Amino acid sequence: MTDVVIAAYRRSPFQPAHKGALTRLRPDEMAAQVVRALVDETGIDPATIEDVVLGCAFPEGEQGLNAAKLVAFIAGLPEGVAGATVNRFCGSSMQAVHQAAGAIHLGAGEAFLCCGVESMSRVPMMGFNPMPHPGLAARYPQAYVSMGETAENVARLHQVGRAEQEAFALSSHRKAAAAQREGRLEAEIVPVEVGGQRVAQDGCIRADASPEGLAALKPAFRQDGTVTAGTASPLTDGAVALLVCSGDYARTHGLAPLARVRSIAVAGCGPEVMGMGPVGATRKALARAGITARELDVVELNEAFASQAIACLRELGLDEAKVNLDGGAIALGHPLGATGARITGKAAQLLRREGGRYALATQCIGGGQGIATVLEAP
Amino acid sequence: MDPIRRVGVIGAGVMGAGIAAQVANAGIPVVLLDIVPGAAEAAVARMLKTEPAPFMHRAAARLVACGDLDRDLALLAECDWICEAIVEQAEAKRALYARLQPVRRPGAILSSNTSTIPLAALTEGMAAEAAAQFLVTHFFNPPRYMRLLELVQGPATRPEVAARIADFADRGLGKTVIACRDRPGFIANRIGGHWLQSAVNHAVDLGLTVEEADAVMGRPFGIPKTGVFGLLDLVGLDLMPHVAASMKAALPADDPYVRAMREHPVILGMIAEGRTGRKGKGGFYARERGPGGERLKRTVDLATGRYRDSEKPVLESLALRDLRALAGHPDRGGRYARAVLLDLLGYAAALVPEVAEGIADVDAAMRLGYNWRYGPFELIDRLGAGWLRAALAAAGRPVPPLLERVGEGGFYRVEAGRLEAFGLDGAYHPVPRPEGVLLLADIKRRSTPLARNGSASLWEIGEGVACLEFHSKMNALDPGTLEMLGTSVAMGRKGAFRALVIHTEGEQFSVGANLGLALFAANIAAWGEIEGLIEQGQKAMRALRDAPFPVVGAPSGMALGGGCEILLHCDAVQAHAESYIGLVEAGVGLIPGWGGCTGLLRRWAEDPRAPQGPMPPVAKAFEAISTAQVAKSAFEAREMRLLRPTDGITFNRDRVLAEAKARALALAEGYAPPPAPAPLHLPGASGRVALGLAVRQQAALGRATPHDLVVCDHLAETLTGGGRDPVDAVTEAELHALERRNFMALLRLPATLARVEHMLETGRPLRN
Repeated sequence: MTDVVIAAYRRSPFQPAHKGALTRLRPDEMAAQVVRALVDETGIDPATIEDVVLGCAFPEGEQGLNAAKLVAFIAGLPEGVAGATVNRFCGSSMQAVHQAAGAIHLGAGEAFLCCGVESMSRVPMMGFNPMPHPGLAARYPQAYVSMGETAENVARLHQVGRAEQEAFALSSHRKAAAAQREGRLEAEIVPVEVGGQRVAQDGCIRADASPEGLAALKPAFRQDGTVTAGTASPLTDGAVALLVCSGDYARTHGLAPLARVRSIAVAGCGPEVMGMGPVGATRKALARAGITARELDVVELNEAFASQAIACLRELGLDEAKVNLDGGAIALGHPLGATGARITGKAAQLLRREGGRYALATQCIGGGQGIATVLEAP
Repeated sequence: MDPIRRVGVIGAGVMGAGIAAQVANAGIPVVLLDIVPGAAEAAVARMLKTEPAPFMHRAAARLVACGDLDRDLALLAECDWICEAIVEQAEAKRALYARLQPVRRPGAILSSNTSTIPLAALTEGMAAEAAAQFLVTHFFNPPRYMRLLELVQGPATRPEVAARIADFADRGLGKTVIACRDRPGFIANRIGGHWLQSAVNHAVDLGLTVEEADAVMGRPFGIPKTGVFGLLDLVGLDLMPHVAASMKAALPADDPYVRAMREHPVILGMIAEGRTGRKGKGGFYARERGPGGERLKRTVDLATGRYRDSEKPVLESLALRDLRALAGHPDRGGRYARAVLLDLLGYAAALVPEVAEGIADVDAAMRLGYNWRYGPFELIDRLGAGWLRAALAAAGRPVPPLLERVGEGGFYRVEAGRLEAFGLDGAYHPVPRPEGVLLLADIKRRSTPLARNGSASLWEIGEGVACLEFHSKMNALDPGTLEMLGTSVAMGRKGAFRALVIHTEGEQFSVGANLGLALFAANIAAWGEIEGLIEQGQKAMRALRDAPFPVVGAPSGMALGGGCEILLHCDAVQAHAESYIGLVEAGVGLIPGWGGCTGLLRRWAEDPRAPQGPMPPVAKAFEAISTAQVAKSAFEAREMRLLRPTDGITFNRDRVLAEAKARALALAEGYAPPPAPAPLHLPGASGRVALGLAVRQQAALGRATPHDLVVCDHLAETLTGGGRDPVDAVTEAELHALERRNFMALLRLPATLARVEHMLETGRPLRN
């Protein structure tokens, strides 16, 4: 079988929606700036790229009209490069990696730009025109359950208390703040231009987060709930790009791969506990890789909410010391369609940095599913 | 006249910051400086959180450039008008003016917002060129909401300077400008300060409780219900000694104001304890928590200075409606009324011409600066000048010459349809109106209505324009109002006028449908009649919009529910900046039924800046109606699409009618009614589900009550076009039918009737 490798990973700074520095930047432009930087740095001939696969959770408005192909134009890629926008909500850009991996295995292309983007400032979550199926809504209302409610459900069913969620969120901010302070995030961030200004730093991380501050927040979704804005990932603007290619392509183009894609999986679950999605997907992916959770050296588990992240860690028996080493989405932000590519790229980058053998990137997905990727050192 | 293009305000205290905010509201850039570094920024930040809001819209705050006096004095170089609002010390003010001299650009106007210091003291030693550009502009607190501006010119002030500021204050800032003589406290605070002092003294001397004194002062005098002690709580007890000291220094020792000054140990004790009123730890009135955490209303006992439980005043005299009867009643309420009236009216009558050119200025100042219903001379007319003369004489008090001279006539009369005031020359003169001011009250004095019933009247206001006026209580809409709407359209169709303006004189444009009538009809199950009334209202609104002549709405104050629906059906609106517009039916468990749902939905659907697709207009209209959101200014109403971008905003209430009339005349040239409204593509059942999901999230947070969910579902069904498929276009007639059906369904629910009843009884929404 053809080897599939993650050859490069770059992302825009992640900034809080509505009040951050990327509020006034179109998402297609944002993604194109990251793509351009990635192509320039790898030095590859863009004409060798088969396809731009762009993950986006709400592909409408400025991120509609098959944004993938438009991003290719904005980034100045040749007309011969194709483009597909894929949607698996929060798993969209990990799905982009999976699609590319499948295509490479089939011999249907050598090099893919697997990207993700979401401007939650400019395209609202749920989109501009949410129009649920009335019959389904009546028969199976959980199909349209709100994300906050699922976080409360998971907290209740898995007995994750408020204090535990807050400790987890605080740790996420501390890890991210340390990574930012020590310059460990610089290698992955592409500064972007917004209205003549250069934005080079993440904006969601709170170095001053405190137990008292978190404890003072009101529940965000249920009056009697335990989940607050402090233990949920913030609405975020951001874009990510990965170069996913065959091992041969990497060798011929002088690229040093970060990691090899070892196995992939998706798995459905109850929409009302969508936060547990990573459990089923990870178990499948680990089985397909023929390894156990204990053999993982690095884990990137998306922090949609602290409650579901904690419950998944417990359920999968993952070692917290190996999880989200530079902080997770609660601190860094969660631009829905861009997160999957970020955690896949980050897991690959950390695998090289930490010198381990296996890494896992996994995330939960609204509507009731999970997605997972197992990586191996190249 | 050169317009004022940029304004500087020095001193970011409550007054300075408030003046800067009002200038920004008018769309004029303003520089706000304070001696304390950072104080101006802090003042703007605080104002953005203050209720009632000093800013009419958040964007106005961006027009305020903040700075520190010592560092940023140069920012004032570009200002056409610099208004000083620093500490009330003549020396400090003069020192500041000297510093401004080299910065101020030639021709720039300088004014002081002093409330007590005479202009003569402020211009001492000032260069002639500067004194020619100087005047006093005295605003009242809060500057956005109080309509009075007292303007004082010095002997050196160039008339053009005063005229330029007066014009800007009038048209730009919406103030009624009253020219005052250069006397301490000018008009309103001279009379008002004396009245406060006298009213406190008599309450103590006659042994009235705080509640009794405020009740006597309130409704019978036409003074806001805060009365005297409530007003002191509002402005701050600690302010009184400062004002008294300043007035004492400036007035002769035998002035009745100075003679009335008295230190009350109880009040001094309260100030020493920090019980300075609403801004402090309570004042004459306080709210405390009982041992079980229950809320207690407490009042100061004027004899001991200690709090006791508040009491509802019980006095025989308080039941009297007639002011003269009240002042003649032998109980302590009557004696109190008489004592305060003699002091207040005797003093006011003696102050003309010392403080003002004429009595009408004095009355206007007290009405607009203290929110009194009647000025002192209007109060004298209510009592009778003869009664007052006799009462003063009986008390051994001097009778002011003006009061002698007015004889048996009143201070005001209506002659040939014009309001005239008694002048110093012993003759009556028309009360002057500034150019461009058109008052319905003046029209009503000189003409008879074209049509009239108990709820509304139709007046001819000149040049072929008619004005429809509501005059029910709070201008609530009832069958009589609808009938008059119909009559107006019918008369217009027959050519009785070229254009129609809808404007009212009361404080509110209209608070919406008469709920009492609706509740009564529901209680006797007159469902057919109610539905008929809803249909009649919808027809009246459509007839207004489709009439062959232009209709211009001219609101001021509240335009709620049905009042808002009328505006949504006008061809244009010329709104007073202080218009508070909203569809508030959900507060009483209903939805708008006179085309309000349809009207607001259409505004959003036709907005080119709104996101496309069937859902966004529905979501926007749903959000505003389901939360009974009320715009807190005409600018906010524009953001909510209750006003169109092309609708006009007038700052001066007295100019609203004239500007609406001009608008109507402009539209009347070659007028054609708007085309029939295009059917709308609405999201149907899926949209209803989507809105339901959003509402249930609010309910989970405790922000929506059980009955809110019911009301929201009926509203959602209406706004999404019922069960229609998104590919089908929904007509206005279908939407109006949906409004009717869902209104009637809600009105039949006990939870809705409980809300209506609660609102009628308490004036507050029931959250059931």
